[in-house]
Amino acid sequence: MSATAKGRALMSEEAAQYRVPKEYNQAVVLQSQLVRKYFEDVAAAAAKGKKIAYGLVEANPIEILRLFDIPVVYPEVFSLQISYKGGALPLMLAAENEGYSTDCCSYVKSGVAAIPPIGTGQTPLGYVPKPDIAVLTYSGCQIYIHWWEQYHYWTGAKIFTIDIPYVRDYERDHYVPRHDVRYVADQLMNVISQLEQLTGIRYSEEKLREILTYTADAWDHWRMALEMGKRVPTPLDGYFEAIYYMSLITLTRGDKTTADYYRFLVDELQRRAEAGIGPTPEEQFRLVFEGVPNYPYYKDWWSLFKRWNARGVAGTYPKVAGVVDYFRFNPDKPIETIAEYMIHAYCNWNMLMRADLLKYYVDAYKADGVVIHSIKSCRSFSMGQGDFKEYFVGMNIPTLMIESDHVDPRYYSEAQMRNRIDAFFESLALRKGLK
Amino acid sequence: MMGEEGYVIGVDSGSTYTKGVVMQLDGRIVATDITMTGIRILESANRLYHALLEKAGLSESDIAYVVGTGYGRYQITFGHVQVTEISAHGLAAHYLFPRTHTVLDMGGQDTKAIRINDKGEVIDFAMNDKCAAGTGRFIEAAARALGLDLRQASEIALNARRPVKITSTCTVFAETEVLEHLAAGERLEDILYGAYLGIATRSVGLLRRVGVEPEVTFQGGVSLNKGMVKAVEETLHMKVNTSPLTMYGGAIGAALYGIKRLTGKEEIVMPTADRAPREVESA
Repeated sequence: MSATAKGRALMSEEAAQYRVPKEYNQAVVLQSQLVRKYFEDVAAAAAKGKKIAYGLVEANPIEILRLFDIPVVYPEVFSLQISYKGGALPLMLAAENEGYSTDCCSYVKSGVAAIPPIGTGQTPLGYVPKPDIAVLTYSGCQIYIHWWEQYHYWTGAKIFTIDIPYVRDYERDHYVPRHDVRYVADQLMNVISQLEQLTGIRYSEEKLREILTYTADAWDHWRMALEMGKRVPTPLDGYFEAIYYMSLITLTRGDKTTADYYRFLVDELQRRAEAGIGPTPEEQFRLVFEGVPNYPYYKDWWSLFKRWNARGVAGTYPKVAGVVDYFRFNPDKPIETIAEYMIHAYCNWNMLMRADLLKYYVDAYKADGVVIHSIKSCRSFSMGQGDFKEYFVGMNIPTLMIESDHVDPRYYSEAQMRNRIDAFFESLALRKGLK
Repeated sequence: MMGEEGYVIGVDSGSTYTKGVVMQLDGRIVATDITMTGIRILESANRLYHALLEKAGLSESDIAYVVGTGYGRYQITFGHVQVTEISAHGLAAHYLFPRTHTVLDMGGQDTKAIRINDKGEVIDFAMNDKCAAGTGRFIEAAARALGLDLRQASEIALNARRPVKITSTCTVFAETEVLEHLAAGERLEDILYGAYLGIATRSVGLLRRVGVEPEVTFQGGVSLNKGMVKAVEETLHMKVNTSPLTMYGGAIGAALYGIKRLTGKEEIVMPTADRAPREVESA
């Protein structure tokens, strides 16, 4: 048979396996060192008898806990780390053995099964101590309340509940009524007075302002890093890489090291842009991502996109701890600004605002299409995504909807996933006139 | 051998059968063939490839391009390029019935609804997810429970008078349901057609997700099942296109994809002279 194939290959194994040259990928290395140190610090604090808090990624008032010298553990984060390293399945089975349903959120199952009495507390990144207090920031996810009840059941942890009202007024874009802010701020003051009693440390507004100054600095640079995705070509993958980079803004926000880290990240991305380096050998497709990623097969899953030289330019998931595009911290009004930050968690936004944000990303980041990854476990994130798809297809924006899970590896089928992704790129290629 | 005289082979390596088509660069089908996929995907594709050459009276040097599609496409190592069966079915439906805008492809373990544009290019698609209810496997399960082979299952359902209700949410449970209806003394035809209607409901649900725009072309192995065609039309309230060639939709589309890449043609439809009803070799 004569090899007379015309046209260049639109996908390649080389692109799928591509790695950013080391000198342009130092932020990931530095972050993994800092994350490891964070886990060590938490374990050391617990060993010294310090009180440990559990917190949720969404709407976490980490600055207040910092003020009272209480290290925070995020079960969502250690769960995804365990899953990323391939260790989720035994935890799913251990939790199911205790009676948790197969349909129960896999974050809950791994979050509960990883620590004593079901598990050992050992994770790929180090030892995770059990909670003394569990700060429930009840926003966007109805399961949170039941999850935290489970911590109380298994460990006796004291639960602090902060109820966060939804952003429900669509007509006045991003408008949050003052009484909603006051409602959250009053609850924060109540938590503060309880933390004073628990720790014997006096509340200091001045110190909180200082912490928030670091937070605001990190936040601004985090936003600058993500907005690099607007460049054509983009120097960063605004989904797959941004998910790595979002670890510290979640775990250690409010100190100088974290603020410096995001400066370092912006510098590195700037250097990438100047050298024409990006997350794939070239940029063939620009995509906006909606939804939580698949952690158990993260790199394999990413390679299904990289194979087509596709780059994520923006995503909603990296904003799950706060929609950085719209919200700024104001250290001069410490309690109010934390309250507003908590209200502006992505899943706390109404569906119309979420759809608008995605549409803004498509336009401002010059995307070729939208990829929606729905996850079996989390209905609060995945609910309404079918409507998003119809909304975008109706506007003639190519949209792919795929499904697996963020933690439980049993819901991932690579052949089915790849078939859908390949078909999506084939039609995108035709649309862009790529042969 | 290039120009309009060259040949392209499309191989569709599906979960149950591997189908193949030899096509001339002008879009004329020269030969078709089908074989069981089995567990050795490359071997069955290779066997089919050589059978196609023999049927068409061609040698390997006559073939300008080989395109693989279907779940086994990446294992067809002798091919030049791969394309998903989603894109392939879109091109094939346009080739066979140029006024098609919506395609229903029902295979062994997949059912796909595909919206295409005026050139057969995919606009949107939806598929069954991690569950074989509503696919060819469901028909196999229902037929097996009734002691029928697939050929009998195709015809017999046409005699249904009062089809029973089958819930259609699970292939395994459907088998039990079929047995319960048998035990209750329901007619075999009514049970079978009831199962078909159950599958059709799921398929039409998929079609509605991408939007049903006429004409609708029904492709894949199940499109040969007359009872199933009737059930889809009844549920959809419209006629659907089928032909003996629709089961080769994936392979035809793969060959068309190859021709498009080789010649740069924007659109390929079946030559008018070939449009008469024809008998196609079956396994």
